[in-house]
Parts: sequence; structure tokens; C-alpha cells
Amino acid sequence: MSAGGLRALQEAFARAVLDGDPDPVAAFIEPGGEEAKRRLAIYGRAVTANLVGALRGAHPVVLRLVGDAYFHEAASRYARADPPRSGDLNRFGSGFGAFLEGYEPAAAMPWLADVARLEWACHEASMAGDGEPLDFEALAHVPLEAQGELRFSFHPSVSVVKSAWPILAIWEANQPDREGTPDRDVGEDTVLVWRESGTVRAVALSAREVAFIEALASGLGLDEAAGEPDWDLPAFLEQLASHGVLGAFRREIPGGPPPISP
Amino acid sequence: MASARFSPRAPDPRQAGIGLRTPHFAALAGSRPAVSFLEVHSENYFADGGPALAWLERFREDYAVSLHGVALSLGSVDGLDRGHLDRLARLVSRIEPALISEHLCWSRIGGRNLGELLPLPYSEESLSVVCARVDEAQERLGRRLLVENVSAYLRYRETTIPEGEFVAEVARRTGCGVLLDVNNAYVNAQNHGTDARAFLAAIDPASVGEIHLAGPERTEDGLIDSHGTRVLPEVWALYEETIARLGPVPTLIEWDTNIPALEVLVAEADTATAVLRRASDRGEGAP
Repeated sequence: MSAGGLRALQEAFARAVLDGDPDPVAAFIEPGGEEAKRRLAIYGRAVTANLVGALRGAHPVVLRLVGDAYFHEAASRYARADPPRSGDLNRFGSGFGAFLEGYEPAAAMPWLADVARLEWACHEASMAGDGEPLDFEALAHVPLEAQGELRFSFHPSVSVVKSAWPILAIWEANQPDREGTPDRDVGEDTVLVWRESGTVRAVALSAREVAFIEALASGLGLDEAAGEPDWDLPAFLEQLASHGVLGAFRREIPGGPPPISP
Repeated sequence: MASARFSPRAPDPRQAGIGLRTPHFAALAGSRPAVSFLEVHSENYFADGGPALAWLERFREDYAVSLHGVALSLGSVDGLDRGHLDRLARLVSRIEPALISEHLCWSRIGGRNLGELLPLPYSEESLSVVCARVDEAQERLGRRLLVENVSAYLRYRETTIPEGEFVAEVARRTGCGVLLDVNNAYVNAQNHGTDARAFLAAIDPASVGEIHLAGPERTEDGLIDSHGTRVLPEVWALYEETIARLGPVPTLIEWDTNIPALEVLVAEADTATAVLRRASDRGEGAP
């Protein structure tokens, strides 16, 4: 092979398999012509099966909603348009929701893209780090007057997915133990996703709860994040803490950084 | 139970191992079958945390572990993906595997990953590309890599070196070991009319660190390495000959599609174990 020929071969191979142009690489393959294209097609099918398979694994609800054939077509188009950047196919699919949003044949299912986004958040939650657990004992020792200044981090698996559609109801109805009919067909669901004891969970949040979580995540202390005292913050905080949503906390020292010890 | 620092186990070469797949986690933890090692696809444990990694950390207490990568892409002209190599290095330090392997193939070009083990032309250029990547990976991991011969469904005009010599030369130049896939050797011989025994004979017995066995699928395009059925009788025969030449070598049954009950997989491993025991009792192979 001429020097540099391997690059030409690999680029042509990728063009054949991902871009549907088998002619350039056929010249590298014995015995050329139609037989070369037939052999290349084995790889074309394998690549599609592997990439679609990765998307199926991460999007079981979308798969159930649209069925095998529809999913295969949508997923293989996405895979060719935006192939994996990482060899770790568990990381492939972060853009599938955005792809479905612009996917003309899915226009009649405007919620589908957000369901895919919710599934991706769940998939990522399953792979997130284990994080530092909340130290309940240390928390119990924080004096009452200092509690409002506490800053919390979240478990690494936590994310929030917002939708104009009842995506949580759709997602719940299409879990393996459900028959597929959502409990409600309206909602602008904002969903908290996290992993608790190895299991990924998703629950709906109220507008107040979302605002609080976002404020806490931006680094505000409890009091500031809570806003008006017209809701049951202690109860919500207790829920977050007991289900492993919150991670480590720290006490903010009023008036700037703590003094440096001599 | 209080214990000293975990020390990685080495697989018993007289007993075969099995590929560890998610559907078998619970059954394996419950029955703890007598297999000498578990092999996983490295990339499936690249996560920062979570349940899959927790299972693997549990299994490594009882079994030697082999990390088998499918996507390092040793044959890419683009060079190794450093982030991928870093994640593999992190997993290696976490799991302390007995064996680490990758495939003699490519899967990435121009920033796009094709998610498949794509064959290389066996040429001087490929040899120098692969050896540079193997050197880099071994240096980063601080460990010896085993490289596996792959199934190929096409042949390139640019191939100038017989596959067995290519594999042997990679091991000779880099000091890496060979993961000899006897089924792949058989599949290639059937699909391309080459000689599996000539391929196997070209490999230096001392370089072989592991053997793979699996069952291929018969299609109108020839044999496809689907890892979806029992090992073929012809492949068992090749395996027996190989073990007679090499002596007992850690052997793995791979089963990735149509995954059967754990007992079926373990029974297949027992068949390989019987071959390894017979060879061991006869004192065959290199000392």
C-alpha cells in the first residue's frame, strides 16, 4: 500500500458506511465491483445495528412508543447525521432528543423529543458518580441560627428536565410493569431525575420546588434559595435529603472567607 | 470480614472463564459457578459510578477479571483517543484486572466512531500504525496488553502480509501478548478460503495470553461472528490442537447475542475446561 493509503482507506470506509457512498472504498476491496459492495454492506448493517442498538438501550420508552421499525429508521438517520464522538457507545445519544424535535415524521408526536431527553437524563443518571453522601449527623450539629446559610451540593446523578408536555406521565405509563396509558394527558412537567440506591428515579416538581433547586444549585444558601416563607421548605428539604438527592453541605462564613490560621 | 488490601487474582489456566453480561449478574452472584475468570467489555464500565460498576467490584472479590476493550481502535490512522485511554486507565486502577485486551482493528476516523470492529489491511503501514498505538497504550496503562485477531468479512487489495504473521509481528515488536480467537481464525478461513492452521501456527506460543471461543452465525454472506450460539465442533477441534501445542491457556467463552441461561454458558466453559485439564494432565505445551 502506498504511504498514507491507510488514511484514504479509512476515510472512504466511513463515507461508505455512514454517508452511503460505497464507490471510493470499493476500489480497496477484493475483488472490487458489486462483490466488494456486497461485503461492505455486511459492515454497513453491523454499524447501523450497533449504533441503533445503543440508542435502543438508552431509550426504551421512545422505542415502546413508536415501535421497532419506526425507531430503527429514526435512530439510523440520527446515527448517520451525528455519529458517536466517543467509542464508548454508552455515551452515544445525547442529541437524540434534539434530533427528534426536528424529525419531520415525528411532528404529530410533539412530546416525543422531550421523552427522549428525559430518558437520556435517566441514562446519564445511571452512569453518574457515586458522590459524597449527606452527613446527617454533622447536619444535626449545625446551630439553628446558622442553618439558613448552608450551601448544599447535589448527588452527581441529579438533573432537571423541563417540558411543555406531560412527559413524566408518559414515561411512567411506559415502564415495563405498566400497560402504556398515561394517568393524565395534560401537564407542563418539570422532572427531577436522580439515582437512589442504584435505581434511577424521576418525580415531578412544582414551580416553587424547581426554583429552589435551581437556586441551591447556583450556590445560594438555604434561606436565599427558599424565597418567600409561604411553603413547606423543611418538608421538601427532608424529602430531598432522605432520598439521596442532596450531597455534601458547607457552612458559609458571613463576611467573606474564613480567617487563615497562623 | 476484615481483609488486607485486595490483590488481583490470576485466572487458573486449567479452568475456563465466561463473558460477564448484565442478564447474568443476579444468577452469578447467587450460584457462584466454578469458572476461573470473568471478562467484561471495558467500555461498559467506563461510568463514573452506579450499579454496573458496583456489580463488577463485587464480582472481583470472587473471580479474576479480564477487561476486554472493543473501541480503543488500535488501527486508526488518527491515533488513540486520549480521553478513551484515560477512562480505560481509570478502570484498570479501579478493578486491577488480571488481563487487559483490545482488538487488532480500527473503528474511528475523523472524529467519527463506527461502533464496529473493522478489519485492517495487513500491510507494513498498518503494522507501524498498530505498533505505535499498542506502545502508547501499554505505556499509559503500565500493563501488558493482549491483542485479538478479529473476524473479517472482506479482504483488502493492500494486504501483503498473511494475518498470522501480522499478529505475530505486532507482538514481537511491542512485547504485547496475543488473545487468540480460535473462532475468528475459523470464520476467516471459511469465509476467505484461507488456512486456519497456518494462521495459528504463525503465532508464537509464548505470546499467547488468552484464548477466545464463541459460536458464529451461518448466513448467506458466510459465517458471521455473532457470539450467539454454541462453539462449532470444527472450532473445538482447532482448539484442542491449539491447546496441545500451547499447553493450558486461560480460555474464555463469549456469548453476546441470544444470551442463554447462565448454566448453558457455564456448561460450554466446562467443555473447554475438560480440554485444558486433559492437556495439563498430559503435560502438553511449552513449559
